[in-house]
Amino acid sequence: MEPVGQPDALDPAPLLVGVKDDQTVTQIIFRPVWERTRRGWWILFLIGLGGVGLLITAISVTLARGIGAWGNNIPVGWAFGIVNFVWWIGIGHAGTLISAILLLFQQKWRTSINRFAEAMTLFAVMCAGMFPVLHLGRPWFAYWLVPYPNLMRIWPQFRSALTWDVAAVSTYFTVSLLFWYVGLVPDLASLRDASKSRLQRIVYGIFALGWRGSGRQWHHYRIAYLLLGGLATPLVVSVHTIVSFDFAEGLIPGWHSTIFPPYFVAGAVFSGFALVLTLMIPARRFMGLEQVITLKHIDNMNKVLLATSMMVGYGYLIEQFMGWYSGNIYEMYSVLNRMFGPYALIFWLLILCNVLAPQLMWSRRMRTNLAVTFGVSLLVNVGMWCERFVIVVVSLHRDFLPSSWAMYRPTWVDLSLFTGTLAFFGTLFLLFLRFLPAVSASEVKELRQELSEHAEEKAA
Amino acid sequence: MADWILGEFGTSSALLKAAEQLRREGHTRLDTYSPYPLDGSSEALGLPRSKIPLIGLAAGLSGATLGYVIQWLTNAVDWPLNVGGRPPHSAPTFIPITFESGVLLSALSIFFGLWLILRLPQPYHPVFDLEEFRTASSAGFWLSVESVQAAAEKEQLVRRLRSLGAVQVSIVPERR
Repeated sequence: MEPVGQPDALDPAPLLVGVKDDQTVTQIIFRPVWERTRRGWWILFLIGLGGVGLLITAISVTLARGIGAWGNNIPVGWAFGIVNFVWWIGIGHAGTLISAILLLFQQKWRTSINRFAEAMTLFAVMCAGMFPVLHLGRPWFAYWLVPYPNLMRIWPQFRSALTWDVAAVSTYFTVSLLFWYVGLVPDLASLRDASKSRLQRIVYGIFALGWRGSGRQWHHYRIAYLLLGGLATPLVVSVHTIVSFDFAEGLIPGWHSTIFPPYFVAGAVFSGFALVLTLMIPARRFMGLEQVITLKHIDNMNKVLLATSMMVGYGYLIEQFMGWYSGNIYEMYSVLNRMFGPYALIFWLLILCNVLAPQLMWSRRMRTNLAVTFGVSLLVNVGMWCERFVIVVVSLHRDFLPSSWAMYRPTWVDLSLFTGTLAFFGTLFLLFLRFLPAVSASEVKELRQELSEHAEEKAA
Repeated sequence: MADWILGEFGTSSALLKAAEQLRREGHTRLDTYSPYPLDGSSEALGLPRSKIPLIGLAAGLSGATLGYVIQWLTNAVDWPLNVGGRPPHSAPTFIPITFESGVLLSALSIFFGLWLILRLPQPYHPVFDLEEFRTASSAGFWLSVESVQAAAEKEQLVRRLRSLGAVQVSIVPERR
């Protein structure tokens, strides 16, 4: 059932369509969990597993042969590994923005999409985390990054941005996981109570921890959920800021810049919203969630997409301007090399995808057109990957001395690692959609209650 | 033998009114059940302010302190390393990890503090014995009076719940 028609200018588009009571909400949201596994799900899942096989192969080759199996060289010591790390971490940020910042700002439209976006955050951070660990060269010594008393009597060097990254990413993952799980508990209890088989009742029951939804429980739960949201909020800003320090602390032309933190955070939110849209448009259709994830949600997300696209575009503009304004030949050359060097195609692709394509979203008709939105969101995903490639590889491959310049080409291991993480992400997401409610039923019910009270007040 | 009295109400406002009324009549061991948090349920049950914010604040501050002290002890005291001539105790570069460890410890203690306060996980509870009570997590609004001993009081409570508008009332034995 598609909510149709242009809404009245004075009457905003509805957040929930045709949802009469709490029982309807339960039915709509839990139906995909209770129904038989569909054939389409199995096909996608098997493809995903195949991709995970590729990922395992590529990781094994990396472990057995070392980083030499990658296309990295000197001067391009950071390449696909870091590009993919930054891209995946950035994607996660939309989840936290939707679930935490919009929660604090009391944006009602976040309710239907937060669970979905948070799951995306968790899986994206898992994919991201693999790359720097593999890039260590000897990943089995990854625990050396943690300050633990050891016989070598040495400690991590905390004045390096790379150790900050470890703290930021692991905190980010942990807090996102706790926040997501706390949000899930009432729905897990609801699944437990509606279970049809004993096995379902036991499994959901274990994860529901014996939640009863009692007033005394909600009393503490509500404040805990809000506080976790409050704690996740500065994380949105801090994680990508710290990731950007990895570059901004370096002296490479094109990296050594103070605009990096805000520019990276905006880019992260931008790419994350794009991926939420990419995943949500098919998912809401195939899972019959159109009544709770309405065109109003798509419209709002597209507005965020447009706003962050403008911020990122401003970042590109300032980068070019500062290159010229610095009066430094290396900075100037790095700007010219991006636009007209051997990797110029990737630069122009990124401008097309990140700055030009989202301009369509000025029109409301485009914002509520699912095909256009889906296309633009895919382009933005590609564009943001290109942006990271331009920052990492294109800056490194021609730095100061022309005698040390080199070209970078990914090997099959690089490409398999990247496609492998895409498949890993997709597989986890399919499992999530199969076994857990993609939309928070308890929060949608709360919203429904609030909206109906509001409507009653208006009528009176 | 102690029993739990459970009553289901048609709407959330009827539930809250009943809880408020019973509390005024001197019943303290009450609880409400709803699929989502109800505005005013804490007031209707007369609950004191939650300790969760205090736990979060204390843990956040100690986490930040701990994070800073670890960095200072390892990098400035135990193993000072000269990197580009910068001071071993360079406070600004310690800020990110100080912040992250504060957030991490605060979030962890809010999470575990919540389950500790709620005494969860708890696999068994008397209310789960009632099959009809399963609606409480999807669409029903329930009220419970905890472990009532005297038979006369049980009967009186059942009647009182009905008169306050309960759709159905049940008595569930408390197994210890």
